[in-house]
Amino acid sequence: MEHLGERLSALVDGELGPAEHERALIHLAKCEPCRFEADMMRRLKRRLNGLCEPEPDMDFMGRLTSLSRDPGPVGRGPSDPPPGGAGFGARPPLGSSRPLGGLPGGSHPAVAPGVPPTPGGASQAPPGRVERSDRRRFGGDRLAHLFPGFPGGRYAVAGLAVATALIGSAFAAGGDSEEAPVVEPRLSDYAVEHAVTSRHMPVVDASPTAADAPYGSSETTR
Amino acid sequence: MSAEDPSSAHSAPVALLVVALLCALLLTAAVCPGSAAVPAEGADEGMPVLRRAAEAEDEVAYSAVREMTAAGGAKDRKARVRVVNRPGDGLALAPVGDGDEGAAFVVRSSSALESLDERLLGMLQDTYAVSDAGAADLGGRDTRVVEAERADGTVAGRFWVDAETGLLLGRTVYGAAGEPVFSVRLTGLVLGGGHWPDGEAGDVPWGDTLTGAERAGLRERGWSLPEHLTWNLRLVDARSTRHGGHRVVHAVYSDGLSQVSVFAQRGKLGTEHSPAFRNGYVGTGTGGGDVSTQHDTVFGGDTGQYRSMWQADGFVYTVLADAPAGLVSSAVTALPDPGDSGFWARVRRGLSRLGFL
Repeated sequence: MEHLGERLSALVDGELGPAEHERALIHLAKCEPCRFEADMMRRLKRRLNGLCEPEPDMDFMGRLTSLSRDPGPVGRGPSDPPPGGAGFGARPPLGSSRPLGGLPGGSHPAVAPGVPPTPGGASQAPPGRVERSDRRRFGGDRLAHLFPGFPGGRYAVAGLAVATALIGSAFAAGGDSEEAPVVEPRLSDYAVEHAVTSRHMPVVDASPTAADAPYGSSETTR
Repeated sequence: MSAEDPSSAHSAPVALLVVALLCALLLTAAVCPGSAAVPAEGADEGMPVLRRAAEAEDEVAYSAVREMTAAGGAKDRKARVRVVNRPGDGLALAPVGDGDEGAAFVVRSSSALESLDERLLGMLQDTYAVSDAGAADLGGRDTRVVEAERADGTVAGRFWVDAETGLLLGRTVYGAAGEPVFSVRLTGLVLGGGHWPDGEAGDVPWGDTLTGAERAGLRERGWSLPEHLTWNLRLVDARSTRHGGHRVVHAVYSDGLSQVSVFAQRGKLGTEHSPAFRNGYVGTGTGGGDVSTQHDTVFGGDTGQYRSMWQADGFVYTVLADAPAGLVSSAVTALPDPGDSGFWARVRRGLSRLGFL
């Protein structure tokens, strides 16, 4: 008696025609080895169908989200480095990704591909991983978040830095070039000099022992 | 809707134009000086008379009493000084008291003073319209009257020049309202040599005249030596000397009628500085009030002489003036303010030094 052979696999997969399928079942009723083999193949197929569908890696999805959040300059090629200053070393090391099939327990829901990016999209990724990744990003990205409503926040930060440097330089340059000594203006000499050029009597007596003013005085307050 | 778009498109530029014109008008009105705050144009036919008077001071020997009157509120203040002029030697001045005369002060003749007279006359001609106002009698002597008029036609100064000798017998400075604020008269004029004080060496201006290049160099090093203090107060002379090894600059500003001296030296006033310190360095003297270490108070003496002292920006400024009080206040205001010592003042100073301002 000829055994089913390769037709046994087609029988288990339901790929045989009606006549072939009937003949195969008649054979299985009479052939013990083929019946045993068919039973094993069915069990294997059930086991395989019972396995879960593998979930995408969370880090990978997080990077995809950040890519779609910053469109970058026009003409960026797929081989160009990712924007946001995430250069070498800014990504999690190889092997630290989530294993295929999900972490044990499956506490984190999978993110379906094609989900539109949202400002809070990064929060869908595992918090620990995202924070570590953010810390490694370039500082300008974080400073730019200080101006959420101002798309040129990075330029504002740069302008602020330039203004601060300019004011600092001006403050340093505006200091006294020489240490100002404590002086006592020689008013008597000044009075004589002024009297000479104006051909008047000096207001202040040039003698070191000047007497008190013989006249009263007035003052003008501006 | 289509009819509104063109009108709105036209009205926006028109509105912008109107706003721009209004702004320009306001700015023009804000910076436009008064009608008198500009140099007066004129033929200046009175200038030869005044130049003759300046020459007469170097040629005619005389003695007289100079009476100086300054308007001071309800009561004018007067001072009398005996003057003896000896061509080639100079001018001797001695205060005249109720009894005997006080110590004499001699201004020696010098080329520096002659050139300063020329610049003062030039400044008078540039600032005012100098006209010959005809003949007049002053104290029994025939004089020629010369008037210096502002651009608005008001008289800023008046001179009386002796018709016989050419000497300047009188001079009056008037305020903006036409009131006399300061006047000088020569009375008791006697031609010929008078009593010359014995043993008096006399004084001349400081010898180190500052050229334009030297003044520019000082400005680059932080000194404040503006060419103008006000529209009519121009720098006519700058010279310097050294006190205790430190440079002191004397800048003379004038409008041709009045004279303002600005003394500047690098340093600061000591905390122990006392206005009552009267040993010849800081303090009061004949005819003057207390020295102010502030910037906003100008002390005046009895003869229209004013003074003010303050520190600013690492320098100590002293202003002595024979000028109307308003002019002195304007001059003081134009100089560095003692408030210029804060953070932003230092930043502004630094920007200026770096060439940004």
